[in-house]
Amino acid sequence: MKLDLGNPAWQAELPPQRSIASDAPVAGCAFSHDGTTAAFALGDGCVRLLPADLAAAATPAAPPVHKGAVLALAADPAGDGFVSGGDDGRLLRLGLDGTVSELAEQKGKWIEHIATHKASGALAATAGKMALVVKDGAVREVGPHQSTIAGLDFSKDGGRLACAHYGGVTVWSIGQATLPPRRFAWAGSHVALKWSTDGKFIATGTQENDIHVWRMAQATDMRMQGYPAKVRSLSWSADARWLYTSAQPVFTAWSFAGKGPEGKPPLQFGQEGAGLITVVAAHPAAEFVLGGYDTGEIQLGDIKTRRSVVIRMADSSPITCLAWAPDGFRLAAGNERGDLLVIDLRR
Amino acid sequence: MATSQSSAQVPVTVLTGYLGAGKTTLLNRILSEQHGKKYAVIVNEFGELGVDNDLVVNADEEVFEMNNGCICCTVRGDLIRIIEGLMKRKDKFDGILVETTGLADPGPVAQTFFTDDDVKARTRLDAIVTVVDAKHFLGQLEQGDEAEEQVAFADVVLLNKTDLVSADELKKVEDRIRSINPYARLHRTEKSKIELDAILDKGAFDLNRILEFEPDFLEHGHDHDHEDEVTSLSLVSDRPVDPDKFQKWMGAILQIKGPDIFRSKGILAIDGAPRRYVYQGVHMMMDADWGQPWKEGEPRTSKLVFIGRNLDGENLKRGFQDCLK
Repeated sequence: MKLDLGNPAWQAELPPQRSIASDAPVAGCAFSHDGTTAAFALGDGCVRLLPADLAAAATPAAPPVHKGAVLALAADPAGDGFVSGGDDGRLLRLGLDGTVSELAEQKGKWIEHIATHKASGALAATAGKMALVVKDGAVREVGPHQSTIAGLDFSKDGGRLACAHYGGVTVWSIGQATLPPRRFAWAGSHVALKWSTDGKFIATGTQENDIHVWRMAQATDMRMQGYPAKVRSLSWSADARWLYTSAQPVFTAWSFAGKGPEGKPPLQFGQEGAGLITVVAAHPAAEFVLGGYDTGEIQLGDIKTRRSVVIRMADSSPITCLAWAPDGFRLAAGNERGDLLVIDLRR
Repeated sequence: MATSQSSAQVPVTVLTGYLGAGKTTLLNRILSEQHGKKYAVIVNEFGELGVDNDLVVNADEEVFEMNNGCICCTVRGDLIRIIEGLMKRKDKFDGILVETTGLADPGPVAQTFFTDDDVKARTRLDAIVTVVDAKHFLGQLEQGDEAEEQVAFADVVLLNKTDLVSADELKKVEDRIRSINPYARLHRTEKSKIELDAILDKGAFDLNRILEFEPDFLEHGHDHDHEDEVTSLSLVSDRPVDPDKFQKWMGAILQIKGPDIFRSKGILAIDGAPRRYVYQGVHMMMDADWGQPWKEGEPRTSKLVFIGRNLDGENLKRGFQDCLK
């Protein structure tokens, strides 16, 4: 089974999909590690589950787990369920069977971002200027940072955690508490962060519509300019050769193979959408990438052939989240209006 | 960006004022009135009193400099983040009220609404409301720039606690406020008691509503001119404005004097143009557009206002004269 964007049938018709309407904006989506279930974080406090299998009956809606909006969602790195964070200050572990357990509560704070590390079972979440690291049942706080954390991610080996904030990025050694944090400074506010899949680079999006990338080994850095909006979504290809970025009308990838992207324009490919890409998600293993637009359109791109196909038509509600299933054939997406989508790319 | 909500921007009212002036009392008044509206309230961490509302967000005032070489270009990072977060909720609301700390500079709050595209797409700054403590204002002016700048930024001033001062004292305070900012609407209040339509939905930053602005008083009752003082200046002319010269002149002023100019607005009769040209700004940030057409026979008068520190009146007058046909 292969994804073949050159197949004329792919251009002619949309792949099979399930679309369920909720009435709350979708802040995030994820697949469970066993691949059976997609979950959607909703603005009414619910985490809605749907089967990955389009032929299976839709799971009924469950009562809210957060008071207020769910702001962050990820697959549970230590199980088959999910973890969620909300503007009620709670960080929850959600079982596929409906069980809910509280990992942390930070009164008056919002839990806005969650990062996970599958191999070590660790997860980290933001709570204002502090990051909460949950590992082997223990919760540890790192910080405070200079400002509220706007993005965080684990290193490839899970031993370090990078937090983006006003003035740059701070990297904490979470395996060994005695090591001092490392600071990577760049003036201004950083609004998104992704550590490269090979652990060698950290990329951020900035308030000034740039992206900034630090090379870990030499602590050198580079700045890429020319975006018309903030780059809120960054995604590294599985082989760490490409950094995909949002805020362009076509797929935009910076090459980190060989000498890196300095002095070279990014590779841009695919069909130009009517609007800008709001979310990008690189395929978990292969050369494909998903792009969701502020028009509601979703495209699947192939960086090898530099083609793209539309897999969901524009409908005016911006795509807010995208997630690949572990099998690399199915995906989940959500939008501002509250549509929950599961798409199967196999024909 | 083409979003379905862009037509329904949520109005944001900023409540500012020195410590103890009565901001929280005003906030609770707004919330307790039977207006049938729902407000999200963003309060600072050091709030004086509790606020009774379903949707209260505690904010650290995180003032961020933009990394774009513009020295006075600061924004409230926490506001950008919180507004974005509020939009993820299912419950929608009719307005957002932002309470600043007593020592806050309103500049970064206002500039956030000029600078950040995501914030601009979802919200609009409606007005800056400054609560002034009638008893302590003159003393507060001596303690730093904050009390003076909060009045300079204001669209609406609530001269509060009027019951605690004599008629003479009140007159003195009022004159002082008007010497700083004669264009703000001034209301005398006790215990922050005010009709809500005096402070909400003012459209003070709406270019379509900058039709006329007149000082809220007739005589300048303030005659001692200290250095470093915040004052206002208005320039008027019946001669048409040369748009290129004006743009160059205004650009240069904001470049050099931007940090000292808190608010500016203007209505211009551009040479040969059938419509008014309207603009308004905070520090170096500026919003401008074509406004209403001039009516037949209507006098085409251009009018500019600056509120700022160390305004060089003669220089500004001369500069404006040079932009006229």
